[in-house]
Amino acid sequence: MSSEDDRGAPAVAATGLTKVFEKGRRTIWQRLRREPDARETFIAVKGIDLRVERGEIFGVLGPNGAGKTTTLRMLATLLEPTSGDVRVLGIDVKTHPREVRAKLGAMLSGERSLYWKLTARENLEYFAALYHVPPKETASRIDAALVAVKLADRADDYVERYSTGMRQRLALARALLPDPPLVILDEPTVGLDPQSARDLRDRVRELKRQGRTVLLTTHYMEEADQLCDRIAIIDHGEIVALDTPAALKRRIRAEEVVTLEIGMTGEDAPLLARLASSAVIARSDRHDGTLAITAHCASARDFVPAAFDAARSEGATIQHVEVVPVSLEDVFISLTGRALRE
Amino acid sequence: MGELRAAIAIARKDIRNVSRYRFVVASQIFTPLYQGVLPALLFGASFAVAGHVVGLEKTIGTTDLTGFIFLGGVMSGLVATAFWAMAMSIRNEMEAGTLEPTWLTPTSREVIVLGRALGGLFWFAFSQVAIFAIGIAFFGLRFRPEIVYALPAVVLAIVAMIGIAYLLAAVVLLIKEANFFIDCTNFLFATASGAAFPVVLLPGVLQPIAYALPTTYAMDLIRQAGLGSRPLFDPALEYVALVLTTAIAFPIGLWAYRRADRRIRRLGTINQY
Amino acid sequence: MNATYLAGDLRALRAAGRMSLRQLRRYPTNLLGTIFWPVLLPAVWVLMGQAYSGGGEPAALDAFASRAGTTGVTLFVFVGYLMYMWLSALLWGPGTALRQEQIRGSLEAVFLTPVSRLVPLFGPTLTNFVWIAMDLVVMGLAAWLLFGVVLSVQGMLLAAAITLIGVPAMYAMGALFGAGVLRFGEIGPAVQFTRGGLSMLCGITFPIAMLPSWAQAAASAMPPTYIVDAMRGALLRSATVADLVPAAASLIGLAAAFAILAVVVFRWLEASARRSGMLGRY
Repeated sequence: MSSEDDRGAPAVAATGLTKVFEKGRRTIWQRLRREPDARETFIAVKGIDLRVERGEIFGVLGPNGAGKTTTLRMLATLLEPTSGDVRVLGIDVKTHPREVRAKLGAMLSGERSLYWKLTARENLEYFAALYHVPPKETASRIDAALVAVKLADRADDYVERYSTGMRQRLALARALLPDPPLVILDEPTVGLDPQSARDLRDRVRELKRQGRTVLLTTHYMEEADQLCDRIAIIDHGEIVALDTPAALKRRIRAEEVVTLEIGMTGEDAPLLARLASSAVIARSDRHDGTLAITAHCASARDFVPAAFDAARSEGATIQHVEVVPVSLEDVFISLTGRALRE
Repeated sequence: MGELRAAIAIARKDIRNVSRYRFVVASQIFTPLYQGVLPALLFGASFAVAGHVVGLEKTIGTTDLTGFIFLGGVMSGLVATAFWAMAMSIRNEMEAGTLEPTWLTPTSREVIVLGRALGGLFWFAFSQVAIFAIGIAFFGLRFRPEIVYALPAVVLAIVAMIGIAYLLAAVVLLIKEANFFIDCTNFLFATASGAAFPVVLLPGVLQPIAYALPTTYAMDLIRQAGLGSRPLFDPALEYVALVLTTAIAFPIGLWAYRRADRRIRRLGTINQY
Repeated sequence: MNATYLAGDLRALRAAGRMSLRQLRRYPTNLLGTIFWPVLLPAVWVLMGQAYSGGGEPAALDAFASRAGTTGVTLFVFVGYLMYMWLSALLWGPGTALRQEQIRGSLEAVFLTPVSRLVPLFGPTLTNFVWIAMDLVVMGLAAWLLFGVVLSVQGMLLAAAITLIGVPAMYAMGALFGAGVLRFGEIGPAVQFTRGGLSMLCGITFPIAMLPSWAQAAASAMPPTYIVDAMRGALLRSATVADLVPAAASLIGLAAAFAILAVVVFRWLEASARRSGMLGRY
C-alpha cells in the first residue's frame, strides 16, 4: 500500500465511513471484570460513501448535528473512524496519518485557533515550522498566504486586534502554508458579517482557480449553491443526496416554490388532495385557523389560479401567496421533511 | 530536521508568548522569591543561634541555610516547569482552541511536548539565573566549586522530568479537573523530592515514594556537591539510581502519552473546553 | 443603602450569598482543596521546622521562642496557615467576584438593576465564612492526628472569638481589594502578589520579629497581623480575654477604616466608568 500521493487518485475516497460514540463512561472496575459494554451508543456517521474529485469545490450541506464536522475530522485524522476505508489523495488515513496531514490544509475551528498575543506573521512562522515548510521557502509562502487572504498590510499586528473576519482569513492563510492540494474548511463563514463572508467565498473560489480541491461544510444553503460544484446533503449521519446544485434542484421536478397561507375552519385533507393534483405538496402545517403550505410546481402561473379555485370550492380563503425559485433548502425539505435550520 | 525545527518553533512561540506579558515574566523571578525562598529563609533563621542554624547542621551536616533553600528552589522550579509549562500548558491550549491546529500538522505529537519542554526550560533557566544573582547579591549565597560535578545530575533530572511531563500530559488531556490535579501533584512531587526538607524527615510510609523519584537523587547530589551536606547514600550509587529511574520514567511517560493521543482521537475531544 | 430600597437590597444580598453557595457546591474540587491544602501546606512547614531545629534541639527551640514567643512550632505554623487559607479564600472568592463579573460581561447587567452598588461589592463575602469554618475543623484535626497537638478548650473558644471579631475587618479588606482589582486588571497576579505580600508581612510563616522595623510598622496596619497574633496567644501562650482586648479593638477600628476606603474607591471607580463607558470593557 503506497503512502505516496497517488496523483490519479481522487482527492477523497471514503467507503463505509462510520463513527460511533459511546455515551457515559466505563469504569476501570467494569473493564477489569470484563463486564459487557452496556453504554448507549450514538451513531454520528452511518457508513457514508464519499468521493471528491480533484480540482472541484465539494460541499457537505446539512443542519447542525448532521455529522458534517465529524466526517471532516475523520478525514483530517483528528478523529478515528469506527469503521470504513478512507483515503485522502490516495493515502490511507488510518495507516499514514502524518503523510495525510502534510498534504492537507484544514481550517476547522477558525478564529479560536490562533495565538492572540502573536502577530499574524508570527503565527504563520510558527505553523510553517510545524508543517515542515523548508526554511528557505517559509518567508515567501507566508507572504503569498497573507496576500491570498488580503492581510499583507496587517501582518505585523497582534491577532487580538483583528476582527472576527480577519481572524478567519488568517486561519485560512495558515491552511495554505503547506501548499496543499486539498483544503478542508468547516463552516468557514459562520459568525461572519455578509461582507466578510463574501470575501471569504471569493478566497475559496480563488483556491479552485489555483488548481486546489476544496471540501467544505456549511449549513447555509445559499453558500453551497453559489460555491460548490457538487454537494452532498447529509442528515442524521447519512448522505441523502449527492449531485450538482442544478441537478439536485431538478430532482424535485419543480422550477418554482409556492408558499400559501390559507384561512379555513374545516378539514384540510380535501383541500390538500385537490392541490396535490397540480403540484407536489412538500410541507403543510395547520395552526388554528391557518393552513401553511409549501408546494413545488413547474409553473406558479398555472398552479396559483388552480389553488385559488380549490380554496374557494372548499370554503377557504387564501390570505398570502409567495413565489420563489427552487432552492437547496427545498431540496432538503423534500428529502427529509424538515427545514435546514429547524 | 523538520521535527527539530518544529520543536524549536514551538519553544520560540512559547517564549514570545510569555514575554508579551511583562507581569508574568517578572513573577517568574519574584514569585518563587516572596512565596518560597524569603519566608523559608526567615523561618529557618528564626532557629539560628548566634547566626548559625545549628539544627540544620544536625539534620544534614551543614549550617548553610541560604544554600539549602536556594538549591531546593532549583528543584521546585524544575518540577513546576514540567508540571505547568510542559504538561498543563497542553491542556490550556486545548481549552483555548489552539491545540487542534497543531495536531493538524505533520509534526509528531511527541515533538509538540518536547517543544514545550524547550520553551519551559528557557524560562526556568532565566528565572534561576536571576534568582541566584539576587541570592548572591543580597543573601550571601555561595557554593563550593565542586558544584559543577552536579551538572550531569541536573541534565539527567531534566530528561527525567520531560518523561514525567509526557505522563502528566496524558493525564491532563483526559481528565476533567486537570488544574487541581496538577496543583496537588506538583506540590507533592517537589516535597517528596526533598526540595523543602530532607526526605529522611518524611513519615516512614512515604519514604519509598521519595526514593522512587529521580529528582530525589538529583536534589541530594546537587546539595552534596554545592554545600558539602551529608548525602543520603554514596554519590556514585545515587548517580546509578538517578540513571535507572530516568530510564524507567521516560518510556513510561511516552507510552502513556501515545495512549492518551489515541483515546482523544477515538473520542474526538481535542477541541472540548 | 437608600431606605426606600433597603428591603430589596437585603433580599439581593441574600441572593448573592445563595449564588456563591451554589457555586461552591458545583465545583467539587473546591471541596477537595479544602481538605488537601489545609493539611499539606502546614505539614510541610512543620517538617521544615524539624529540619531547621535538628529535630527539636533545645538551643534551636529556645532561639525560636525568643522570636516567636513560643516553642510550639507545630501550632505556630498551623495558625499561620489558617490565616493563609482564609486569605486565599477571601481574595480568590469575594475579592475577585466583581472583576470576574466584568470579564464575563455580566457586571453591566448587574448595574442595570436598581440594586445598591454595595450588594455586588459585599454580597459574595457572605459565604466566605463557610470556607473558614471548614478550614478550622480540618486543620485542628490534622494538628491533633498528625502531630499530636491537643488544643485547650479555653484556647479554642478564644481563638473562635477572635476569628468572629476579625471577620468584618477581613471582609472590608477583601472589598477594598475587589474594588482595586476592578480597575487594575489581572486577577491571578493580583491575588498572588497580595497574598504573598500579606504572608510576608503578617507573621504567617515566620515570627514578625524577623522583619525589619519598617515592615513591622506596615504589618501593624493589617488585620491578619492581629488575628494571627491573638490566635497564637490564645492557643500557645495561655492568653486571657483581657490580653486579647487590644487586638479586638484594633480589628474593629481597621474594619471601619477598610470598609470606608473600599466604598470610597468603589464609588470613584463607578463614576469614572460611567463617564468613560469602561464598565462593560476591561
